[in-house]
Amino acid sequence: MFDDDAIPDLAARISSAEGTALKPTPLEEEVVALFDQMQDRLLRYLLSSGVPVHDGEEIVQEVFLALFQHLQRGKSRRNLRAWVFQVAHNLSVKRYLAIRRDRQNLVDLGEAPAEDSFIDRNPNPEDQLASNQSRARLQRVFRALPEQDRRCLSLRAEGLTYREIGKVLDMSLGAVALSLGRSLARFARAEER
Amino acid sequence: MSTKDSHLSDQELLLAADGELAPGRAAEAASHLAECWTCRVRKGEIEESIRNFVHTYRGNLDPLLPPPAGLRALLKAQIAEMTAEMASAQQGWRAQWSPVATFRYAGAALFVALLGLLVYFRPAFPSRQGLHVVPVSFPEPSLTPGMAAAVSRDQLCRSTHPKNRIVPASLQRRVFEEYGISGAEPRAYEVDYLITPALGGADDIRNLWPQSNSAAVWNARVKDALEDRLHDLVCDGRLDLATAQRDISSDWIAAYKKYFETDEPLK
Repeated sequence: MFDDDAIPDLAARISSAEGTALKPTPLEEEVVALFDQMQDRLLRYLLSSGVPVHDGEEIVQEVFLALFQHLQRGKSRRNLRAWVFQVAHNLSVKRYLAIRRDRQNLVDLGEAPAEDSFIDRNPNPEDQLASNQSRARLQRVFRALPEQDRRCLSLRAEGLTYREIGKVLDMSLGAVALSLGRSLARFARAEER
Repeated sequence: MSTKDSHLSDQELLLAADGELAPGRAAEAASHLAECWTCRVRKGEIEESIRNFVHTYRGNLDPLLPPPAGLRALLKAQIAEMTAEMASAQQGWRAQWSPVATFRYAGAALFVALLGLLVYFRPAFPSRQGLHVVPVSFPEPSLTPGMAAAVSRDQLCRSTHPKNRIVPASLQRRVFEEYGISGAEPRAYEVDYLITPALGGADDIRNLWPQSNSAAVWNARVKDALEDRLHDLVCDGRLDLATAQRDISSDWIAAYKKYFETDEPLK
């Protein structure tokens, strides 16, 4: 890491206001590039599954530090997209359980769960005008879905294949297809009403 | 066994829409869909449901996403720290203590320490467990170099305007974004003019920084005292306006020490 030019370079870097890191290694650059590609998608998935924004941000940081270590140890590079979702999912389940426990202990947490923010977020005035009843209906249907079905939908919306979803949520391919089919059928029925 | 002539179930239509059918069945399904209006309409309806869901999903969640730059910067700092720690651990393990290695090791440790300081004095990122607010006592020069408006000394000294104008909320948001402050944290900061308008400071993002409310020593109250002092000195003709602007924008703490002739803020 600290090659021969690193030390003379150090003074220059410290004096520059931007200099918060040594020259990034190719691995670091790779992880940061992946982070840029994936962070919004991971965060949306976490928010949609009930994690508050702050926790979501922390989880995403943890995921990419874990990815850095994973790659540094020379572990498998196969399907890193599914890998990061899987780690984020596992961390969020752990965190979510902890939050739920806290919620039972604390009456006032001062923060609504993100589930509610997915569903009940006040739209801005323009949205409100455009906000059609069908969107509200869809939100209600989504809220009423079993947790596993909501997770499948969110992961699919983030572009994961059925196989990847199955890996993240530990489900069979067939179960993923059934879950998605069932949810979409419910949306369709709600539209017809 | 379904053939190309039998209608597709909703499940198969979804698999077809998602490109998840086995290759042989996909070809049959495609040729059936080409011929069958009923199945094609049904497939369109399923796609419509997908479209509606994705619009709602994105429409609700995208506005909640924080700006990416702050999180990226934090990740980079953490990776750099992790790498440096590992490098020094390895070096210790090998126990190669040549003078050069010692120097490098010291450099690495110094770097980690400085990095820690930089991360510490840069606004922290929200963490629910132990949401801590980092005191920011001085602005980041690259983000907030200070900007003066074209106002003369006479105009400033005649003016009876309140000392600090309120910074518009939109501009405040941009300042927080620039400094990577998000979530619940903005409440812990006050967006402050580096060069106060009473000294000719401009309403410009380059003249605004998030001053933390929790800084124990060099806080907003101390800076206010400096601003009053400089305003008086300038208006009494004892200090040049440009010098006052330069001193407060380059290092306001040093300016305080200079103009109050003290190393500690006065009580």
